[in-house]
Amino acid sequence: MKRTLTVCPYCGTGCMFYLVSDSGRLIGVEPSTTHPVSRGGLCVKGWNAFGFVHHPDRLTTPLIRRDGKLHPASWDEALGLVAERLREIQERHGADSLMFASSAKATNEENYLLMKLARGVFGTNNIDHCARLCHSSTVTGLAETFGSGAMTNSIDCFDNTDLILIIGSNTTEQHPLIGSRILKAARRGTKLIVADNRLIRLARHADLHLRHNNGSDVALLNAMMQVIIAEGLEDREFIAARCENFEAFAASIADWTPERAAPLTGLQPGEIVAAARLFAGAKRAMIVYSMGITQHSHGVDNVRCCAALAMLTGNVGRPGTGVNPLRGQNNVQGGCDMGALPDVFSGYQKVSDPMVREKFTRAWGVDALPSTPGLPLTRAMDAAAEGKLHGMFFMGENPILSDPDQGHARHALKNLDFLVVQDIFLTETAALADVVLPAACYAEKEGTFTNTERRIQRVRKGVEPPGEAKADWEIICALAKQAGCDKMHYPDPSAVMDEIASVTPIYGGISYDRLDPLGLQWPCPDRDHPGTPILHIGRFNRGKGRFSPVIYRSPAELPDEEFPFVLTTGRTYFHWHTGTMTRRTHLLDREERRSFIEINPDDAARLGVRERDDVLIASRRGSVRAQARITGIVIPGVVFMPFHFTEGAANALTNNVLDPESSIPEFKVCAVQVRKAP
Amino acid sequence: MKYLSNEQIPDFFSSLQATHEVRLPIMLPDGTRCLGHPGDGTVALFGGALPAKPTAAFFPHEGPVFVAASEGFTEPSAPEKPLLVVGFTSRDLACLRFIDRFFAEGWRDDIYFRNRQGALVVGVSGYCGPGGASLALADGDCDFELVWDRTRWLVVSHTGAGSAIVEGLAETVSDGTLERLRKEMAVYEDENEKAIRRASELIRADRVPDTFWSEIGDRCIACTGCNLACPTCTCFGVQDWRYAGRVKRSRMWDSCQLDGFMREASGHNPLGTEGLRTRRRIHHKLAADPDRWGEISCFVCGRCDAVCPTGIGIFAVARELIERFGNI
Repeated sequence: MKRTLTVCPYCGTGCMFYLVSDSGRLIGVEPSTTHPVSRGGLCVKGWNAFGFVHHPDRLTTPLIRRDGKLHPASWDEALGLVAERLREIQERHGADSLMFASSAKATNEENYLLMKLARGVFGTNNIDHCARLCHSSTVTGLAETFGSGAMTNSIDCFDNTDLILIIGSNTTEQHPLIGSRILKAARRGTKLIVADNRLIRLARHADLHLRHNNGSDVALLNAMMQVIIAEGLEDREFIAARCENFEAFAASIADWTPERAAPLTGLQPGEIVAAARLFAGAKRAMIVYSMGITQHSHGVDNVRCCAALAMLTGNVGRPGTGVNPLRGQNNVQGGCDMGALPDVFSGYQKVSDPMVREKFTRAWGVDALPSTPGLPLTRAMDAAAEGKLHGMFFMGENPILSDPDQGHARHALKNLDFLVVQDIFLTETAALADVVLPAACYAEKEGTFTNTERRIQRVRKGVEPPGEAKADWEIICALAKQAGCDKMHYPDPSAVMDEIASVTPIYGGISYDRLDPLGLQWPCPDRDHPGTPILHIGRFNRGKGRFSPVIYRSPAELPDEEFPFVLTTGRTYFHWHTGTMTRRTHLLDREERRSFIEINPDDAARLGVRERDDVLIASRRGSVRAQARITGIVIPGVVFMPFHFTEGAANALTNNVLDPESSIPEFKVCAVQVRKAP
Repeated sequence: MKYLSNEQIPDFFSSLQATHEVRLPIMLPDGTRCLGHPGDGTVALFGGALPAKPTAAFFPHEGPVFVAASEGFTEPSAPEKPLLVVGFTSRDLACLRFIDRFFAEGWRDDIYFRNRQGALVVGVSGYCGPGGASLALADGDCDFELVWDRTRWLVVSHTGAGSAIVEGLAETVSDGTLERLRKEMAVYEDENEKAIRRASELIRADRVPDTFWSEIGDRCIACTGCNLACPTCTCFGVQDWRYAGRVKRSRMWDSCQLDGFMREASGHNPLGTEGLRTRRRIHHKLAADPDRWGEISCFVCGRCDAVCPTGIGIFAVARELIERFGNI
């Protein structure tokens, strides 16, 4: 019997638990009773996080495509081929004809190394990861307004606040141990405003539930702020001392009366007024948001509005306040921090800054580093579809199920000269690859993950990887060597973290010997620094907080006669993203076995659809079959569908229209038709 | 009567490893206590009930059932040496007694008894609870019991196997300490136990409306922790993994808080709402089991309350239920 303390591989909450193993096999999970986030509890995915690790479908050997089929190969053969083909494409079409997709599932060290491989070895800034699909709007919007694109406060703040506005986050399902804190806070008297037209669990406990139309967040938030200013409820002292551009902002929303917002949001003006007064009246108010805010063609504008509402009411830089984007993946915060983004090195240091490039050039011992920001992942898929990109390397991502417009994604990947996928299972994307590299999963390697509150925590190896599978960091270093780089060898991930700390000011004080037992929250600039639970105390990271006026834009594709429903997509509580792990975990798979849509009883009756009937859902991009779940959770005219299922894939329907600034796709709104399946 | 000083504990249990697979409470690096082997960490007998149920030593979270291959079935073998598991409080021992009976009755559960048969069980009691609080004496239900009297562990055997194990230990004079401790512990009245009994009466008298269970269900995030932490929850799911030429069947702890637990193949679910599932969780322990087994199957260990992220463990629910329906 052995117990290994590690971090949950699912959401960004960052719960820690012990993996229980016996004779080299995992046999269970026990929560850590002292951990500050999970406090002895876990969600259903955490309790079952050992369940997929030894699954017979695990990849155990490298695979190379020959004659259209994937065949087992040796590591030397596979990595040799990858290095050769990537170099060949680089030479023939230029370094920027390659794209590297890193992974929010992988560790900080692995994200840093893939970033280093892309920039330092292959000379391209074409590196990104699935943060593009979830919180790129946050990174852009909060960096502009506050100077840092991360959750401003800590999870502990939910215990001591007067009001929580939850907008576009189904927190009890997607960040269950944070949602639980919010539920408990509500029981103790903390006011809740839930702005989400789905009747989510938190809405059942809310003081005010605003069921506004999908994609009308800017109208709702602008109107709330208009009421606050019109009624003199704003925090003038905070605005004067800490913020800039307020006059222009106030002028921009002066005519956003609740009456103007009402038809756009579908709310009564009185509901907007009530929300504004309740929010402004709280001494300490927290804003919590997630994909409901970010995954829009105006995602950055939504984020700007959230930031403005917090500044307007003086709710930044104190305990129990703040703008709190909940990061989705276990290490999506870390993936961003490590510079697995096209425009920045680790620690958000811009590639366009010559001083920064000079620093990394010296640290890495390379001649030069590219200065032009690379392609965001979504734009890279477009470039691949157009034949402008020739080689792609995916580490732990499955775009065939996770990217918008599946037909487009499939065409893009098939159009490549060379596709490499490094993963733990043969995903739908890996099945298309020219080379597949078998990776160790979270339970089989060392490293760190950074959770949504910027807490860097240790990931530990509980069991050996299956067959010849290796940790991602080992594979990347071996590939660098095959590609002729002799400077990427490390004895262990701790040495990688030491390098990260030496070049990344916000991680400057991080080293493995400091991370037990509670981890450290960045910024942590030096070894004596205790970490930073709350950002922007006394001063915003950018100096003054900036009010950014926002012009309302409707979603790109609204319902019409032919496609009369709004489709909004997301996750269920029991599955994770493309189901790679959870659909191979017995109890989770049993709980949600197949693709479904939630449809309102009125709509179902009109369409003659009964509970559990199969329905066909079609958009301008595709058509899929799913089971109908008739429920008042959704309002009439809206259907909800999870994106976990390869049979009945929601992303066969979604719209590949991007926010112009963050390049995030509009997963939350597209137009579909629904009919009973024959 | 035999005794051990606290300093002698690690060596005593290490010495038993020659004949037994020993598991005892140890402290993990982050301060979590759990069952481990001697040498895996500092021995941690103090602090009360272990956070994870010690019955997991016999009925683990996941374990093999059989492997079916063309050459036939292979069942997992019993442990090479019998288990010796230390750290059961009197409440844990009551839970163990309950599931021993459950797994033995009717269809005897071979897989459970593969680990349980011949195993030795060691209780802990006396002033070794959280912060030195008292833990009631078990006075049975185990092979021997370690009773902390604030200076030493009195070693009280309850079975022949227990006596054989502790035979070589030093004798102490019978100075009445054990009787004194027994009396001191008996004075202590457990409010949680009273609440559980009262809640059981109210539920069995049909005084709790369905709306109450819906309200509690609204606060349940279906983490399943209450079931997984509960020493008397015995439900398990079965999984078959197919490999080339063989199928491996294993079983893992299941939860009645999951929709899939009771869902029919048609998709219909007689426990299809959160309210019904919450009702079942409490009702089973406080009403159904008393009918079937003659006793409430919550032995007041407190684990579901400790593990529940939203505060609806069985004590919390019992107290709320009594407050609202106790005086009608």
